Amino acid sequence: MKFIASDRIDGLLERLGERGPVWAPREPEGAAGTVLFAPWRPGDAVELDRFTTLSAKKLVLPASEKLLSFSYSLTPEGEALDITGADQGRGDTVLFGARVCDARAFTVLDALLALPPGESYQDPGYRSRRRNLLVITLACTAGDAACFCSSWKEGTASTQGSDLMLYPAGEGYLARSVSPRGEELLALDIWEDSDLEPPELAVTDRVPFEALEAKLVGSLFSDLDFWRELTAKCVSCGYCTYTCPTCYCFDMYDEMSSSRDGERCRSWDACMFYLYTLETSGHNPRPTIAHRYRNRIGHKFSYYPANQGPVLCTGCGRCIRGCPVGLDIRDVLRAAGER
Amino acid sequence: MNGIVDTIKNVLKETDLVLGWTTDPVTGVATPARFHDEKEAEQAVFDSTCAHNLAVHLPRLKDSRVGIVAKGCDARSVIELIIEHEVQREQLAVIGVGCGSLLDVKKIWRRYGYGVAIKDRDDSLLIGGEQVNRDEFIQRKCHGCLEADPDIYDVIAGEVTGEIPTDTVRPHPLHDMFVSLTPAERRSFWREQFSRCIRCYACREVCPMCFCRDVCIMQTQIPRWAGGAVDAKQSEMIQLIRVNHLAGRCTGCGECERACPVGIPLMLLLDEQNHAIEEMFAYGAGASLKARPPLLVFDVNKDIWGKG
Repeated sequence: MKFIASDRIDGLLERLGERGPVWAPREPEGAAGTVLFAPWRPGDAVELDRFTTLSAKKLVLPASEKLLSFSYSLTPEGEALDITGADQGRGDTVLFGARVCDARAFTVLDALLALPPGESYQDPGYRSRRRNLLVITLACTAGDAACFCSSWKEGTASTQGSDLMLYPAGEGYLARSVSPRGEELLALDIWEDSDLEPPELAVTDRVPFEALEAKLVGSLFSDLDFWRELTAKCVSCGYCTYTCPTCYCFDMYDEMSSSRDGERCRSWDACMFYLYTLETSGHNPRPTIAHRYRNRIGHKFSYYPANQGPVLCTGCGRCIRGCPVGLDIRDVLRAAGER
Repeated sequence: MNGIVDTIKNVLKETDLVLGWTTDPVTGVATPARFHDEKEAEQAVFDSTCAHNLAVHLPRLKDSRVGIVAKGCDARSVIELIIEHEVQREQLAVIGVGCGSLLDVKKIWRRYGYGVAIKDRDDSLLIGGEQVNRDEFIQRKCHGCLEADPDIYDVIAGEVTGEIPTDTVRPHPLHDMFVSLTPAERRSFWREQFSRCIRCYACREVCPMCFCRDVCIMQTQIPRWAGGAVDAKQSEMIQLIRVNHLAGRCTGCGECERACPVGIPLMLLLDEQNHAIEEMFAYGAGASLKARPPLLVFDVNKDIWGKG
């Protein structure tokens, strides 16, 4: 297998930088120990041992983006509305040091946002960013107490969504391509040949959720007491949805620069917010935290798999690690299974 | 003097529920819990990982008789909520607990991994079996602790410490660095910090005094006060609005900073403001049930700022 020594990672990142911006896990200064995927520049330290607080989804779904700009004019000759779409053309972006759960999340999102034309609605922004994203994934030899990706069949061995896999071995990493673009990367003259064996991969917590798909639209849906009890400590912030690699909901709005000109934009939105389902009439079909959390779990483990195929979760554990009130989604899933 | 479990059991005789903590079996650290009966109360704990300010739940429990376990800092929030009529003194049974400074569990997890074994005993802190300097891993707010023991309580569980847990009352750890910056440097410091903000509003939702909640002006559509973009400029403005709305109301519990997923030092803004208000109006939010907030009683003809 191909191999790269740890002290040559910077060299690899520089070569990757020739293809486009490189994003890697880094600890920003003054961020209280938070590790985030951030643009990498030569000289920047990369943090490959610890997990990132935020997922890498903003590379395909930015936290906010302009979709189009519009301008209305009224002259003696008549009225006109000019609409200019946002520029979707872009080169490659390289994501380095994603984990298996991060990479697989892209394929989970693809099931809705990158279906072939004609089959569904199209999200050109997502499609173009996804197509141009190169994903270099670091396989996990150890998880932490929040990881539960082994709930899925392939667990830590999954290569879905990745172009190139890196496996910790010796004083560096073994590399294996899992896509044609990954093959291109292996052709770079930076790799050595190695006889090292790939490492034993981590086995994480397993949470059974198969039975939930039917239950969440059946007995559990009308069981509001169940949701009230489990979400009693929830404060309804957007932490879990915004750190989640597969939550994709957004809100569309116009930013007006005058009464006639403006931009149509979208930003992340979270189903845990009261305003998310507030209707113009003033009615809100999900008025309490229990209603909203029920939807969050229902969407992830029932409605999405029923409509799109995959479960809208990859077991990355981010919603667990930093929840301000220590709400563990696995407790909810297990309790739902037993109810 | 009863322990936390027995005290909660007693309080449950006169209340519908008690807000407290239990130990999360996965991580071994405390997590908020509600106790409704004696059996549930068996699970109650109080230790140095009970950082959450449970007073945040009170405005949502207006129709219940509520018991609440409160540290000194939490008690200040309870007092301020009573002053602002968000909760009635009569509906509450406050279980005071003495606090000897709290661990910053998130900081420990970020450094050593989620769920690492934490053993906190008197003067020694063991993380994953390794002895570490405890002072390095306590909550930032505990460095400037205002109230080790609660000022409002109906019953005390365990022992109160009777003293401020850290050696001296200190400002925010970043205070000295911040005041040494020029205005332009301060601006770029906050721009850099807020460039990480994802607008998850965890800061707002964990704040006991941010009880506008679902109708917060940062998200209302009509009128739209804040722009929708997720960028440093918007986040900075949103946070300045929040900080201003907490003028004379922030009790310094530090929950916003603890909850922030990206480590923005929000209490630096609030501490500076709290100190300014203390100087100008001799008022500290939540310090006393008898005090009246300056915004409520300030008389421009009598109390001219700076006059003395």
